[in-house]
Order: sequence, then C-alpha cells, then structure tokens
Amino acid sequence: MHIESGARSDVGQIRKNNEDNFRAEPSFELFVLSDGMGGQASGEIASEIAVETVVDHCRAAVENGAPEFYGEPAAGLSDRTNRLASAVRLANKMIFEAAKDDPTRKGMGATIVTCWIEDRRLSLAHVGDSRAYLLRSGSFEQLTADHSLVADLVRSGVLTEQQAEVSEHQSILTRALGTQPSVQVDADEQMLVAGDVVLLCSDGLTRMVTNPEIAATLETNPNAQKAADRLIELANENGGEDNVTAIVVRVMAEPKGLLARVRRMWRGTP
Amino acid sequence: MPRLMLKFEGAVIKEVPLGNRPVTVGRAPDNDIPIDNLAVSNYHAKIYDEANRLVVEDLSSLNGTFVNGLRVDRAMLNDGDSIEIGKHNIVVDQEHDAAVPLDSRRKVSAPKVDETMVLDTKVRRQMFEQAAALGEHSQLSPGRMRVPTLVVLGGRTDRKEYQLIDKLTVIGKSSMASVKLRGWFAPSVAAQIHKHDDGYYLGLGDRVPRVNGQTIFGPTKLNDGDLIAVGRVRLSFRYRV
Repeated sequence: MHIESGARSDVGQIRKNNEDNFRAEPSFELFVLSDGMGGQASGEIASEIAVETVVDHCRAAVENGAPEFYGEPAAGLSDRTNRLASAVRLANKMIFEAAKDDPTRKGMGATIVTCWIEDRRLSLAHVGDSRAYLLRSGSFEQLTADHSLVADLVRSGVLTEQQAEVSEHQSILTRALGTQPSVQVDADEQMLVAGDVVLLCSDGLTRMVTNPEIAATLETNPNAQKAADRLIELANENGGEDNVTAIVVRVMAEPKGLLARVRRMWRGTP
Repeated sequence: MPRLMLKFEGAVIKEVPLGNRPVTVGRAPDNDIPIDNLAVSNYHAKIYDEANRLVVEDLSSLNGTFVNGLRVDRAMLNDGDSIEIGKHNIVVDQEHDAAVPLDSRRKVSAPKVDETMVLDTKVRRQMFEQAAALGEHSQLSPGRMRVPTLVVLGGRTDRKEYQLIDKLTVIGKSSMASVKLRGWFAPSVAAQIHKHDDGYYLGLGDRVPRVNGQTIFGPTKLNDGDLIAVGRVRLSFRYRV
C-alpha cells in the first residue's frame, strides 16, 4: 500500500493575504494544515509556526528517537498518534510564546489539522475548525469534530446543522492554538484501506463548497493534485470568501503480480 | 420582574421571566427551561422566590448544580449570579424591567464577527472537568461498569475473547491487529472497530463485514449482542457487566 498526495492553498477572492499554511511531506507521510488568525499579518505567522513545529517535532521523534514529549500520552492510542498530539501541544506553546512578547502579535492564534500515516494506520490530531474527511467506498465522513461555538450548539441540540451553516457565530472558536498556555488536543486513529481518500481542509473550503460537491470532486479526480486544484477552483467559483487550503491523500493498492512482489521484497516492505 | 437567561458558550439561548411559580430546569421537555443534554438530569433543579429572595435548589441531580463555580444543594441567589448546569449556565437578572413587551425582547447575542475569534473557555472547562470527574465516579460504582467485549463464535483467531480497551481495534493479520486472525489467506486488516463518544462503530477493512447478516456500507454502531461476520470469522459484540 502506498500513497499519492496533492495540496494547494489560495488567498481566495476577497481577502488580501493568505493566513493559511500547509506542509505536505509525502515521503514521510505527514500532512499539516493550519488556518491563522490575528491582526497585522500575525495570523500568517501563527499558522506558519504551527506547521513548521509539527513537522520538525515529528521528524525529530523518528530520527533521534524520543525528543521531549509534551502533555500526557493518552491510553488507548498508539505511540505514533500520541506523538502527533505532542507536536500539536508544542505548536500551541510556540505560538503562545511568540505572541506573548510582541504587542503587535497579541491575540494571534491558529487552527490545526494534521495526519500522519504509519504502515496502514492513519493518526489524526486537530484543534479548531479545520477539518479532516475520509472518502471510503462512496461514504464521505468527517473525522474531526469542530471546536467552534456553532458545532457545540449543534451537538447540544440547540441548533440544527442547517441553522449552523448560516449562523453569524460561525467564526467563534472554542479552542485554538496559541491563545492559552496549554490546549486540549483531539487525537484519533484508524486503519486505511486501498481506495481511501483523506482530505484535510480549512473552513474556506467547507463554507464555500458542499459536502456532496467535495465528495464528487474527490471521486472524479483520480489524481490527488488535480483533485486539490479543483477543490480550490470550486471554492473560488462559489465566492472564495476566505483563504482556502486542501490537502488530498489517496491510498493506493500495491500492484499485484510476481515482479511487484519481488520488488517489494527487495525494498523490504511487506 | 426578574428574569433568568439560559446561556451556552456565552450566547443567550433562552430568557424566562420569573413569576410566582417555581421555574424548573432539566432534560425532560416539560421543564420551564429544558436542556437537551445528557449531562443534565430529567428534573435537575428549580428556582423560586422565597420571602422575596430568589433560591435555587438542586433536585438530587447526578452531575450537580453549581452557583458561581461552587456545588450547591440549595443557595440564595443575587443579581448577576451564574447557575451552572452541565455545559450551560443560567444568569440571574433581577434588575430587568418587566415593562418590556414580549415581542421586543430580542435575543442578546454576540456581535457579528468577520474575523475568527476564540472564547475564553477556562471557566467553562474547569466546570466541565468538575462535572466529568463526578460522572466518572458514578461510573465506577459496580453494576454500571460495562466492558465492551468481542466473543469469538467461529474462525481462526489467537484468542476466544477480546476486551476492547483501545480507541481503535484492528481485526486481521497485521502486526497492528489486536484481534489476530490466523491462516494463509487472512487479510491484513479485515475490519476495524472504532470507539466514539457514544459507543463503538464497526468499519470496513480489506473485507466488507456483515452485522446481523446485513452488509455494512460505512461505520456502523454496534449494539449489545450484535453478530459480526467478516471472512470466515464470526464474533459477538457484548457489553459485559
């Protein structure tokens, strides 16, 4: 089983600067997306710190054994997923400290959604309203629960999903990176199956493009980069009111046959 | 006439004027202030006037009633006090002028924001953790412990019974599998079981499992006694007491 990925970010049709940042590390099977907030370009700084910190921390964990672990590892989750959550906690700390000493960066923060694949297991971690989705055998499922006021109101039964989509409170987050000294990170994991498509995206996509449109775009574009490009186009065609970022990861079956089998044995992968 | 304002995450969702009759709060829909949330008991608390003082009384609720962060059985209320129930709170507004006609009572809400902002959730989080800790206590009492278990009814596995303790349980030959399948043609990941807040969900792997004879198309919630068939393996999902 191997993966193919594509990613793109765009400023959109309305805003002047792009506060989204992403890092795609296909060789390392790590993908990170962050949507920044804060005045005077500090949103871009926050989201950049977020993606850089997560990539560096995960890389260091694999290459140098075990660097410092942030927070408490959760029972019931794999080491890999706990490591990803640790990276997100460190990103929170780095943004918080960067904001603390600089009055122009007061109030800066960011969302984050990140996934890391080991063997066939997908590790996920997120804070805020950037999302991860999984398209599997035609079903399109949101893997993350937004940390936003409207999402809480939907969960508690006060608002319906339809009301939430047009609510004026959509931009109010209940959790973000960099606004408190520590943050609660949601982490999760599951096994991938050949044919799966994982999508990480910022709210600039999900507010402009409906879920069925997103799912159809992923299904009809077998090339991951083309799928990501098309999602950005759709968001812009529908108004492009916010920065928009999409990372598409496709899980491919290993080719069958004797030659492929010998090649895999040569590479040392099962 | 004083009024009560039901808030969630800082936003007012309901206003209730206080008359001579007690105001009840709870999960049941016939309460004056119904709150549809599992952390709230059916008849959780009541608020009433007693010798011109406003009083809140907890009705032996499971997760408790708090006033300004302190758990109370019964407490006098002052203007501006916050009664916390689960993730919601009710603010006492005694100075409110009763002359305001009904239809002009508009929802007090946060200003419209274009830029993303974050709520200060520290107080709310502390409250929630306090309530969660109490909830955990009650779950520890014997008789309430229900251990999700897979019992093997047929097929070649490494054990006869598995307790689901992790967030993810993999059924297959993979090194990551906790329900290990044996045999040459056993798939690496036959299926997977995933723990959500509201229960356990069976998901697809390299095979499409069946639950009670029905092929599943996506994550499917497992109920006590469900029969799972995947490849040649048959399992029963049970909540063991």
